[in-house]
Amino acid sequence: MAELIAIAFAAFFVENVLLTQFLGICSFIGVGKKRSSSLGMGLAVVVVIILSSVVTWLIYNFVMVPLEIEFMKTIVFILVIAALVQMIEIIIKRFSPSLYKALGIYLPLITTNCAVLGVALTNVKEGYNFSQMIVYATAIPLGYLFVMYIYAIIREKMEFSPIPKAFQGIPIAMVLAAILALIFSRFGGLA
Amino acid sequence: MDIIIPPLVLGSLGMILGVLIFLVGKYFGVEEDHRIDDIEKMLPKYNCGACGFAGCRDMAKALLTGSCRAESCKPIKKEDQENLNRYLDELLQGIPVTK
Repeated sequence: MAELIAIAFAAFFVENVLLTQFLGICSFIGVGKKRSSSLGMGLAVVVVIILSSVVTWLIYNFVMVPLEIEFMKTIVFILVIAALVQMIEIIIKRFSPSLYKALGIYLPLITTNCAVLGVALTNVKEGYNFSQMIVYATAIPLGYLFVMYIYAIIREKMEFSPIPKAFQGIPIAMVLAAILALIFSRFGGLA
Repeated sequence: MDIIIPPLVLGSLGMILGVLIFLVGKYFGVEEDHRIDDIEKMLPKYNCGACGFAGCRDMAKALLTGSCRAESCKPIKKEDQENLNRYLDELLQGIPVTK
């Protein structure tokens, strides 16, 4: 149990997917403008990462390891993740058109979000068993959601701040991301 | 023999996933207005966003409701634009412009 808590804590703070591993930055800058859309995107990433981790872990351990084709993991994982996101997109469109509209172009972008592939590959690289994999695959996207939400709150507040003209828009967003990353780098001392 | 296994696994995996997507699409898919498809075919499909919408499909939806015109599309060819306007005029005849 203590081991699982350690994995979850490390994945959430120490190895935060956005601010320490720098995966999935595209959506971080793109969707992190508004609180509501950052929440929607974060939740979509949570669902996609957990599902894709389970499926890729099963395929890796029960198909690829017995056949000794571990070297194929990258291409197989990409295929599985792309197909999974397609299916999730269809299902969301059916059951929640408002969420589908809110996610808009970002849902297909999850297909190419490297955080999803990164988690799937880390699960395999670290040799996690099933429960460790579930904990890791839940904590990582929750860390994504957490940082994304903080980032969106600050960016919403910044809309009303007097920012020099040269820094308006994306530049100040980059500076903010850098400062957040500095704060999160301090968690490295805990590991 | 060893060289057969990787493509076989990848091929069969692709096949299974393809069938799954087909099934999900069949049972959970939402049927959309076919006129959106017709209009989208006439647009250049660059998804450049110059019209201010999120891609060509989004603009096609707006064209259908009459909230924008084919002139909003920047990269469209002259003849395509005329075709599109003719199509829209026929389609929207007598239909009040909705938001």
